Amino acid sequence: MASAKSKPGSGPQGFSIGHFLLLLVVIVVCVFPFYWMVTTSFKEQSAILSATPQFFFHPTLGNYTTAFQKFDIGASLVNSLIVALSTTAISLILGAPAAYAIARFDFKGKRDLWFWFISNRMISPIVVALPFFLIARQFRLLDTQLVLILIYLTFNVPIVVWICADQFRNIPKELDEAATLEGYSSFGIFWRIALPLAAPGIAVSAIFSFIFSWNELLYALVLTRTNAKTAPVVATSFLSGYELPWGQIMATGTLVALPVIIFSIIVSRQLVRGLTMGAIK
Amino acid sequence: MSAEKIKKTYSTGAFFFIAPAVVVLLAVGIFPLLFAVGVSFHQFLLPKVHWHGNFLGIWPIYDAPFSWFGNYISIFQDDSFRESLGRTFLFLIICLPCELILGLVIALLLHKQGNELLKKICRVALVIPMATTFAVVGLMGRLMFDANYGILNYLWALIFHSRPNWLADPNLAFLSISSMEVWQWTPFCALVLFSSLTMVPAEIEEAAKLETAQWWQILWRVQLPFMLPGITAILILRTADILKLFDVVYIMTKGGPGSATELISVFVQRVGFRAFDQGVASAQAIVLLIIATLLSRFYIKFVYKEI
Amino acid sequence: MKKFLCTFCAGVAFSCLGLSVAEAWSLEEAAKDYKGTEIKVIFLDRPGYRATIKMLPEFEQKTGIKVSYEIVPYESTREKEVLDFSAQGDLSIALVDLVWLGEFAESGWIVPIDELQKKFPNLTDPDLDLKDFFPLLLNAFGTWNNTVYGLPFDNYSGLLYYNKEMLKQAGFEKPPETWDDLLTVYGPKLTKDGKYAFALQSRRGETQSCDSFMRFIWPWGGSLLDAKFKPNLLSAKDQEGLEFRQKLEKIMPPGIVDFDHNEAVNALAQRQVAMITEWSAFYSTLTDPKTSKIINDLAVAPEPKGPDGRKPALGGFSLAVTTQADDKKKGAAWLFIEWVTSKAKAKEYVENGGVSGRQSTYQDKDLVAKYPFVPPMVESWQQGVPEFRPRFAEWPQLSEIIAEWGTKMMDGQATVKQASEEINKRTEDVLKKAGYYDGKKTLAQ
Repeated sequence: MASAKSKPGSGPQGFSIGHFLLLLVVIVVCVFPFYWMVTTSFKEQSAILSATPQFFFHPTLGNYTTAFQKFDIGASLVNSLIVALSTTAISLILGAPAAYAIARFDFKGKRDLWFWFISNRMISPIVVALPFFLIARQFRLLDTQLVLILIYLTFNVPIVVWICADQFRNIPKELDEAATLEGYSSFGIFWRIALPLAAPGIAVSAIFSFIFSWNELLYALVLTRTNAKTAPVVATSFLSGYELPWGQIMATGTLVALPVIIFSIIVSRQLVRGLTMGAIK
Repeated sequence: MSAEKIKKTYSTGAFFFIAPAVVVLLAVGIFPLLFAVGVSFHQFLLPKVHWHGNFLGIWPIYDAPFSWFGNYISIFQDDSFRESLGRTFLFLIICLPCELILGLVIALLLHKQGNELLKKICRVALVIPMATTFAVVGLMGRLMFDANYGILNYLWALIFHSRPNWLADPNLAFLSISSMEVWQWTPFCALVLFSSLTMVPAEIEEAAKLETAQWWQILWRVQLPFMLPGITAILILRTADILKLFDVVYIMTKGGPGSATELISVFVQRVGFRAFDQGVASAQAIVLLIIATLLSRFYIKFVYKEI
Repeated sequence: MKKFLCTFCAGVAFSCLGLSVAEAWSLEEAAKDYKGTEIKVIFLDRPGYRATIKMLPEFEQKTGIKVSYEIVPYESTREKEVLDFSAQGDLSIALVDLVWLGEFAESGWIVPIDELQKKFPNLTDPDLDLKDFFPLLLNAFGTWNNTVYGLPFDNYSGLLYYNKEMLKQAGFEKPPETWDDLLTVYGPKLTKDGKYAFALQSRRGETQSCDSFMRFIWPWGGSLLDAKFKPNLLSAKDQEGLEFRQKLEKIMPPGIVDFDHNEAVNALAQRQVAMITEWSAFYSTLTDPKTSKIINDLAVAPEPKGPDGRKPALGGFSLAVTTQADDKKKGAAWLFIEWVTSKAKAKEYVENGGVSGRQSTYQDKDLVAKYPFVPPMVESWQQGVPEFRPRFAEWPQLSEIIAEWGTKMMDGQATVKQASEEINKRTEDVLKKAGYYDGKKTLAQ
């Protein structure tokens, strides 16, 4: 019975029509709104709002120049980049070892500890925005990148711990034991054996960390002013409550989305490398 | 080395592996959490309280009256809160299974051999829905779902000859925000499940393929057990996130029409940042935290199985 | 760059004019102790603010005071300001939407003007002339409990924008005088062939509570609260107005309950509807060839009258000095607020896209000829209701309640009577909790 999910006519290594088509559908669905956003960013306002959506139109760079000049999107992109990269890096440095320990070692309260990490993501930012604001003011960290980097750790480290713990758990224990017999310390095992094998998990958690930090809006809105303004804040400052300059909004939206996509492409390569290594092991 | 010694090395090692993460998270996060808990027991309206400096330089002192469980009781008496919570659970029940199943299908597609180039493009394409700032996703939704100027209705009219009011009809509005949510987060599920799938030892998969040609049997018996941790992770994370979901919904519909799309976080925001009643809002957040915790325990108990 | 230089020169020329009129007092003289002070303010991405930003370099050059602004989405502005004020932040100037005035004033976050004048006698421009501001604006945007706190800065009025070509083709030479005419006479003739007579922005949020709901209460002689501050929505007049609004749906596009300002303005701009009642600020959008298809057919009139007269929608922002600023910043802030709303700078403000709140500005016949929205706007400002929306601290909560049930009313999820009852009940709860019924609190709105 041929259902949408079956893949008839597939050779062992070959080209399967069903597979191909389904992948294509996924790509189109994911990309279409983005495509619409990008094309909108090159349209004039009247083209955007015309009764029939225009697939062919006179492109204009006006929206982008306004975004750069008027709103200084360039500086905010740099801020976002610094914040997202730093917090991702620190989350990995803190989270990967913790994940390894949870996966490998046995100690009292391990389950609860693992759960505590996760629960850090459950509190609504609305009610902790005020205390964060107060502390940041106290330590003169308002409108700095550092304060965002630190706060974002609270939701990125749990992701890293989570995803990586899974990956570490699936590495066969025999490898560990063999390494111990050869005289490696636990850190050595972690560094040389577990980490490389967990590369897919590390890559995926890095991508997610980066994305969540990049897109975070509430804390950035409340805690930054002019110096540490991040890209999402600029992207939403257009919401004046009256006009909606769609072209400019979509232009900033595109500019904001691009670095994430580029980052994911770069990190995806690691994902593939890790997979190949995993197969070889 | 004896087995004893190996175990000992492991135990002390654990401490150093975990300590940095715990210390940092505690240092950054514990104060705000305690503050929110504290505030939930007071009558705390931001414009009306006065700040009297900091205790020991860190803990701010406000002159807000203590109100025991007053805030909590008012939550349970509030119909709107219950309705909003119910709506959010409905949203959860609709969106989460969709995301999981679609994510699973996509993960399987990525895992299956063949079409390497397309798979690579697909992996990158999957990141795109999550890459856009949520507020911009909301705006995109507004633009695309607009009854008069949206691309969706243009295509819909070509096929079905009608122009439904996606954002003005209470039921359709709910459907619209659900579809944005599924669009945005299915890739997340897909990527997590995909990375779980890579952990299935190749030998076992090969052996299973020789035993049965039915792909769904392989899925159920061989692959799924390896994906349970990933599925649990997704369930817990998405539940927590849907309880916090704000930007996309607010920008697309502001919670309207009426209260058709007022999810619980939109509600809490109303209380916390419009009425500025941080006391009640904190109590609501704590209640949500408890609910999220209970649900997570539930997921872990019934879904998660360590291999 | 060229444009900047021209504006700069124009600015200098105008201020020289202003200086020569204001005898001994000069901005530079007054500001000499404040060189190098930095004052922070929050701005929106709207024409008036863009006009101000263009004028900032001149102010800095004259006084050495740096005005550091941050552009924030409207929805988050009050949040940011309140957070800042309640945690002793660093804003020196408060941007006060008229509905926040009561809250800011009662919380002690903004400084009354006569206090500023007493404290800084050298800094008050003799040409300040508070009486020159439209009384309605100074009252509604800047005065609370008979004390003036802020000067009207970003000023709006609701206006009737209409497509005179569409009206002509349906046989109308003039716009409707009354709401009744609009519904019964103009409505049927203009609603056909996929076009509609009218669009009323009604999306849940402030748009629903202010633009959609309140618009149909006041012109019918109704009110939100009675003299004792009890909710009044079940009164005959209120009900009449709200029922009228329901009838309007016949001549409005489907899905109107999701229309926000953009959708309504766009509907007019794309010839989908013939008339809208929107804020004066949208004039520029409707006359910009990039965003509007009806540049030649656009006409402006004051809003139609209800049975109780013309009570157009009123909105706007004032600038006030914050209490939390230190004395130096207070002085600098006061200088800026006076300057940006001064008579001398008003014309430049208008030409850069702002809307001045001073009567003298509009005595310039050339200016009036250039901006056709001015006469109806000035007329609207003669008759408005300052408490079109109550400006006390509880308004944001009430606005949420009205927004939710107002949209339910329009959507058919509740009848007018049911929804009004709900709003009454919840409003009473809120006001009770706030202490308006114990006799301890002054009944000010």
